[in-house]
Amino acid sequence: MDKIDFSFSDLIAGYVIQFDEEKDSFQLKTSDGREFSVKFAANTYAWIANNLLEPRQWCGEQMRDMLVPGRYLFTYGTFYQEHDAFNFEAQYLVFPGRKPGEFLPEKQDWWVRQIEALGEFYLKAQFGDEVINYDNYRTTITLTGEKPLDHFRQETDTISRLVYGFASAYMFTGEERFLEAAQKGTDYLREHMRFVDLDEDIVYWYHGIDVHGDRETKIFASEFGDDFDAIPAYEQIYALAGPTQTYRITGDPRILKDAEQTVDLFDRFFLDQEKGGYFSHLDPITLDPRSDALGENRAKKNWNSVGDHAPAYLINLYLATGEERYRKMLEYTFDTITHHFQDYDNSPFVQEKFYQDWSHDTTHMWQQNRGVVGHNLKIAWNLMRMYGLAPKEEYEAFARKIAKVMPAVGGDSQRGGWFDVMERRLCPGQERHRYAFHDRKAWWQQEQGILAYLILHGILKDEEYLRIARESSAFYNAFFLDHDDGAVYFNVLANGVPYLMGTERFKGSHSMSGYHSFELAFLAQTYTNLLITGRPLELYFKPLPDGFQDRLLRVSPDILPPGRVRIEQVWIDGAPYHEYDAEGLSVALPQSEEPLQVKVVVAPTKD
Amino acid sequence: MELNIKTVDQLTVVEPLGDIDGKTAPTFQDGVLAIIEPGSRILIDMSGVSFMSSAGLRVMLLTHRKATGSEARIVLVGLNENILNSMTATGFINFFTVRNTLDEGREALG
Repeated sequence: MDKIDFSFSDLIAGYVIQFDEEKDSFQLKTSDGREFSVKFAANTYAWIANNLLEPRQWCGEQMRDMLVPGRYLFTYGTFYQEHDAFNFEAQYLVFPGRKPGEFLPEKQDWWVRQIEALGEFYLKAQFGDEVINYDNYRTTITLTGEKPLDHFRQETDTISRLVYGFASAYMFTGEERFLEAAQKGTDYLREHMRFVDLDEDIVYWYHGIDVHGDRETKIFASEFGDDFDAIPAYEQIYALAGPTQTYRITGDPRILKDAEQTVDLFDRFFLDQEKGGYFSHLDPITLDPRSDALGENRAKKNWNSVGDHAPAYLINLYLATGEERYRKMLEYTFDTITHHFQDYDNSPFVQEKFYQDWSHDTTHMWQQNRGVVGHNLKIAWNLMRMYGLAPKEEYEAFARKIAKVMPAVGGDSQRGGWFDVMERRLCPGQERHRYAFHDRKAWWQQEQGILAYLILHGILKDEEYLRIARESSAFYNAFFLDHDDGAVYFNVLANGVPYLMGTERFKGSHSMSGYHSFELAFLAQTYTNLLITGRPLELYFKPLPDGFQDRLLRVSPDILPPGRVRIEQVWIDGAPYHEYDAEGLSVALPQSEEPLQVKVVVAPTKD
Repeated sequence: MELNIKTVDQLTVVEPLGDIDGKTAPTFQDGVLAIIEPGSRILIDMSGVSFMSSAGLRVMLLTHRKATGSEARIVLVGLNENILNSMTATGFINFFTVRNTLDEGREALG
């Protein structure tokens, strides 16, 4: 009854053991060491995973010659159930590189080209060929890059996330239109979404605005299920993502002031002075995290309220300012995560939801006792970023622990890629952690896996981490890029086929805006070039006259271990410029009446 | 700030006099929240308020929340241009019924 006695199709990811010409088949070993025999079918075809806006390179008959031992590939095919066994026949193969051992995402400009294509897609989707005007911004962007035309909601954090994307795309390409979109988006957020509380001397951000023709209605508190009628820390945190990334480029002091006053909001109202950490929600009226009006969100803390500061804005704010206040806050959030989130006696997944006294909340809304795979990976990734600033043993140990346990419980060793939400504990009789909702794979969770293992390898030089980083990146680049309509898919099925239903069909929504895909491209290229392959990286800035304090432009693309990276060359307005601190990764800007175009080449320090 | 509360023709009329800011908002809050009861009809005459800070805006929202929860009705009258602008710019105006004069306010409360 329980026997699988039917044929089905699925994906296998693995390394070639050998090709048997006579049988026209090959042996493949998965990431976790299981072997499969793959037979060529009559119409098997193959391609090399191509980047966005690149033509696809088909392999033709050459595909058999490419099956050399040790080469990694994906093969989608059918398990034919016959003779009391399964015979797997390939429908198609996808190679992550042209040569054995080659992974194209490790090219010097793979992710630069990808972020450029993403930027072009979202510019066109939001503004077409018109002047960039955020009155025309829509949260919803369809699969093909179109917008709804009737009345609409503009959400603060989705605009901010897209602004982050445009700013990052400018930093890699120097393309003026990306910067214009980032600056105009930042201005729009300031004008329409910002609430300056003069009594408290703080800034907080509206959930969004409803636009009906020329009329605009402010939406004060969140209207989404988990956060209904509250100010969630999550939205305030992401409101700063885009402006802060823009600040790194321009040094616009107005942005810095907003960021400072929003951090004041976190320090004075979200911070739990008594038990530590940051509360997840405030009552929008009393600004009290313990207000009864918050219902199930009363006096709670969670992954987002503690852990999202660093990646969303705080690391970037520190990179741009070098301020001790932000370094301390970063260290505080990572110490808090390290101290409270580990729960390895009970589960391979971190605990993500807490009551005020840090006891575990296992009943909250949809999360219950479930673990988000991407949050675990995101902790490992960001601990290793912080490790470059504060190389604490406990950060390394925690990151290594996540890196060790996560592939078996949150990764797909059969097909590649990372799953979504898992049950944190096994029920009696179970050997495998259950999928909480489905076995699909979301684009943003792939990002966390790729960046976690890239930086782990880049800093700790463990080859196992490089292997997992490559496999993760290969899966993402093989299956998430939408070569027909542009940008990336929200979800794919476990087998890599795009999942195009409901809001997950969209390229823009409450949950997807143009943040994670850009962030992945920005940091994957940074880690690859500067920490792994030893290649230079070009960065672009456009500081305003007297924008940055003391006219000091800090150019490190991320927190990187001290001494690993230096400035090689600087140009200002096209001319070579020599007033910079190569090891300190900063440029002493000249006095100017106009914004300066600054191009910087950073490169790994030679041993 | 002074807060006068009186009953006129079965309506409760609240007359704040002075600024509503971080210092005075608690007085306004304590006085107004105490009179919101199920079914009550409250006219807040803002003509004696020249300035309302963000703390004042928040206390107005708190008033709205309690009124909604109690099925009480509140109408604001006599808002000066500055306060009207700040309530409009912040979106808070949408929570309230606003009229220009006391008579129009009484009419709105039925």
